[in-house]
Amino acid sequence: MTPAWLLRNEAYTPPSDSDAFLDRSVRSFLGVLSLIRSRTGYTRERRGLDARVKLVSTFVLILFTSLAQRPLFVGLCGTVLLVSLSLCAAEVIVEVLKACFAAGAFTAVILLPSAFWGNTAGVLVVTVKVLICVGVARLLPATTEWRAVTRGLGSFRVPDIFVLVLDLTLRYIAILGALSLDMLYALRLRSVGRNHSKTRSLSGIAGTLFLKSRVVAEATYAAMECRCFSGTYRGGQPQALGVADAFVLSADAALIVVFALIGA
Amino acid sequence: MHIPDNYLSPATCAVMGAVMVPVWTVAVRKVTKEVERARVPLLGIGAALSFLVMMFNVPVPGGTTAHAVGGTLLAIVLGPWSACISVSIALLVQALLFGDGGILAFGANCFNMAFVLPFLGYFIYRFISQRVKGQAGEYVAVVAGSHVGINIAALAAAIEFGLQPVLAHNAAGLPLYCPYPLSVSIPAMLIPHLAVAGVVEAGFTAAIVAFIRRVSPGMIREAPSGKIRWIYAVIVVMICLSPLGLLAAGTAWGEWGPEEIASVANSGKALGYVPAGMQNGLKLNALLQDYSVKGLPDIVGYIISAVAGAAILVILFRIFSLIGKSGRDRARGGTA
Repeated sequence: MTPAWLLRNEAYTPPSDSDAFLDRSVRSFLGVLSLIRSRTGYTRERRGLDARVKLVSTFVLILFTSLAQRPLFVGLCGTVLLVSLSLCAAEVIVEVLKACFAAGAFTAVILLPSAFWGNTAGVLVVTVKVLICVGVARLLPATTEWRAVTRGLGSFRVPDIFVLVLDLTLRYIAILGALSLDMLYALRLRSVGRNHSKTRSLSGIAGTLFLKSRVVAEATYAAMECRCFSGTYRGGQPQALGVADAFVLSADAALIVVFALIGA
Repeated sequence: MHIPDNYLSPATCAVMGAVMVPVWTVAVRKVTKEVERARVPLLGIGAALSFLVMMFNVPVPGGTTAHAVGGTLLAIVLGPWSACISVSIALLVQALLFGDGGILAFGANCFNMAFVLPFLGYFIYRFISQRVKGQAGEYVAVVAGSHVGINIAALAAAIEFGLQPVLAHNAAGLPLYCPYPLSVSIPAMLIPHLAVAGVVEAGFTAAIVAFIRRVSPGMIREAPSGKIRWIYAVIVVMICLSPLGLLAAGTAWGEWGPEEIASVANSGKALGYVPAGMQNGLKLNALLQDYSVKGLPDIVGYIISAVAGAAILVILFRIFSLIGKSGRDRARGGTA
């Protein structure tokens, strides 16, 4: 027979506790993991621009936007960003615009006091430049498979070892990030009511991450040895550039010419 | 502390990138030498750790949260050179794939967070832990190293911001990039870092080091034997700060050239003439006249002059010490 105390309803209401830092940590890790999972493995772009061309174009646009002093040229760079955005999927557009306006708003707030010293035009120009550069920088990873970006770097005389380390970094961010997330969930689930040692447990999670990283490093090195991988990394043969790539590169060249004529 | 693009001028970004190139070169050589076989996974994992450490939000008074950078922590666990590479790669991933921190400002961000922070934090940690023995001494060293490290990194960022109105302005004198002078940028960066970010960094670093010491003490990298050559760290800091001289208006007192001395004012009156001894004195066309290199920005000229000057002094001192040593050896041989 079931004892009566077992059937009685509990009236226990755990006292509320501050979980904001745990929530934010979980959100940060979830954001990064979902980004890595969505950007590694398949390509979101409809038309295949070469990653190397995208890297060059990104750098050119950011550099010349930054160098430009005349609002006309800054406006031209903004137009190039808008045209590039208009060719993207809706979710990419939303993602890039969100980042643009967040960075632009932050910059405007930071620079606003200098407007009282007579720097009104400067506040506007720098804010627009930040908006454009953040948009361009966000457009690259949003439309390119991340390993293609890291391999694209290999074409610019970046040492192969560096490219391999970048690839490994992304992989380990995903692996160790998932582990951290599990531990954060565990800490949350085990904290019923007030838990005064939650902050201390956070350092335990980070410490465990360090310990786990040693295990993962040893396992990876053993796996490399088993596969006769000496650490020398060779990327595949670079693909030939297409018509679209040539068009984008000539647009970059045209931008530089226009800068030379009107930008400085 | 991640500086976005357009807060610093492209010329400043280029100089900061140029400063980091030899640092990365030495770091790769050192790490390759220290951990030859297992270097590849170690570097990748270090970078991933550096990236993830920045994602832990720590509660701070007032109900908000802050995150640590972990530069000193990585330097203590992996060594300063490995920490330099790890934080640099983490910053590259953040700039290139997450849009956090500028692409042009990558060199400046690396200088502040991958060079100044881990190296200074680690040197302070070692300096104190070598002198104050015991567990308490080690924790004091960790807290001091991480707190000073992040604050000096913030100071470096503040100086970079504060130099912009001087280095990049239009014909009307209005700034083209960060508009705030050093008098604004330094307190704006240092006050929150001294009060909040530094405390978070120190607390987080000490807590993790304590955890690792308790659970797996062998993971903390043993510091190489031998005393720290502090003088090198001081020289590097002085070289980096040398362009601050550009902020000064006019020439240092007593260092006037013949073309300047006529306008030097004394008790409100200009001198009005050039002394004959100066007018017809010896003229020497130095290689780095006025600490500048023709065709390069002044800031680059200052840094090149500082590097060359420091290198010449080090060479001279080494030669003198060699002469002194051989003299002592001869004297010892004579008495034997």
